Amino acid sequence: MIELRSVTLTYPNGTRALDDIDLEIGKADFVFLVGHSGTGKSSLLKLLYREVVPDSGEVIVDGIRVDKLRRGKVAALRRNIGVVFQDFKLLSNKTVWENVAFALQVTGARSKDVMRQVPRVLDLVGLSHKSRMLPSELSGGEQQRAAIARALVNNPKILLCDEPTGNLDPSNTTEIIELLQRINLKGTTVLVATHNQAVVDRMRRRVVRLENGRILHDDERGYYFRGLGQNPVLSG
Amino acid sequence: MDWGRIQFFLGEVFTNFTRNAAMQFTAIGTVAVTIVMLGAFLYVRDTLATFGQGILKQIEIAVYLDDNATDAQAKTLAASLAADERISSARYVPRAEGLQEMRARLGSDFDTSLLTENPLPNAFRVSVRNADDVPAVAATIGKLPGVAKVDYAADTVTKLLKAADVIGRVGLAMIALLVLTAAIIIANTIRLTVFARRREIAIMQLVGATNMYIRMPFIAEGIIAGLLGAVVAIGVLALAQMQIVPKIAATLQFVPFEVNQLQLAGELLLVGAVVGLISSWFSVGRYLRA
Repeated sequence: MIELRSVTLTYPNGTRALDDIDLEIGKADFVFLVGHSGTGKSSLLKLLYREVVPDSGEVIVDGIRVDKLRRGKVAALRRNIGVVFQDFKLLSNKTVWENVAFALQVTGARSKDVMRQVPRVLDLVGLSHKSRMLPSELSGGEQQRAAIARALVNNPKILLCDEPTGNLDPSNTTEIIELLQRINLKGTTVLVATHNQAVVDRMRRRVVRLENGRILHDDERGYYFRGLGQNPVLSG
Repeated sequence: MDWGRIQFFLGEVFTNFTRNAAMQFTAIGTVAVTIVMLGAFLYVRDTLATFGQGILKQIEIAVYLDDNATDAQAKTLAASLAADERISSARYVPRAEGLQEMRARLGSDFDTSLLTENPLPNAFRVSVRNADDVPAVAATIGKLPGVAKVDYAADTVTKLLKAADVIGRVGLAMIALLVLTAAIIIANTIRLTVFARRREIAIMQLVGATNMYIRMPFIAEGIIAGLLGAVVAIGVLALAQMQIVPKIAATLQFVPFEVNQLQLAGELLLVGAVVGLISSWFSVGRYLRA
């Protein structure tokens, strides 16, 4: 589903964000992308939805060479990829329903589809009863669920999450991660960039650790720190 | 038709339009001023053109025949004048009639009884359909056999045509500058809207809206601003037409005020819409490429 081959990315200011990355993620996989801030987690996600283009190497998403994609085709790619951020990026003047519907409406969806898809995803994230509320009337966890609903409303094959629990307390964090897992079980490929050690260690899913723009390790059923498990002293 | 989709689009346009009401007023006002100037200019130019054509239509070409010209030559000449498409009428004026006309025109200012013989040649008086053709027709006739001299108010005609041309050019240059100003102000207004909506635009791009789709509401906004400006301008011009033109017409009775007002209004609306379209297209385009 996702494949990176010898990908190198340098920002215009000269910072090397990613250095010779090779990575393969299969259909319906669930992968944690971990590492300190500034190690290239966000950059890697941005490559996938073509917010940035690599200096060299190949970026392949669902069989498409994203690094070679023409500008006019980017929109089509992004309808296939849902993205969720730490700060939710909801529109404050629109209700939950309108925020979710917006993602469909601006891609030219028919109103019939809007009426069908929006309730479906709101039900999936458990926000049906709050669809008429504004983001400011919701808790952080609920706002993130609304953002996830928006990311899913186009039925993407891939869901990218950039620090989805960064602004949430532990109980909301658990809620969101469980939701992501449910979404993954329905067949969506989920890639979560995080530095929440507790979440990663509890889930025991595939863990890819980045450090200074390189992949330090890549473990099936891994831990936040390789081989250490949940050791609060060593891993704190 | 998908009413929900149209409703959503119109909602977007309305939100855009009302977000910077003050700036929007400025934009519409500038467009209005520009189009009032443009409209007034076109109105005056059309009126002058009609007026000028009227004057030029009255200009006759006097074709004086050679004293030695035979009747046959005069007849051939009459035939070739009649055959020329550009000529509306050619009247033969024998020398006797010419003298009578001159007597009538000069009246008591000049005592023609002093004349011992008629100094006038036989002549044709030629009128031309299109005033622009006067010099060319005169030149053609001058080369025909039996013609001694061709005369017309050459200076007046050419000067009038030149003056109209210069006025037209200067006016157009000034209006071009005004249109540019209006376009820049619309573009800036829309940039403000774009800036105010940058979060929405970022999300649209993220969820896969095409650039064309993102652009459309802003373009619509620009076109609406341009059209509203044009409507205001047309209102002002209509008012001026009703209040001012009758007064001028009363003093300048020889000037015909015959402008096709519907066509002019249509042209002005088109100008407004095009200015709005182009300026908004560029101002959003620059943002989307960045």
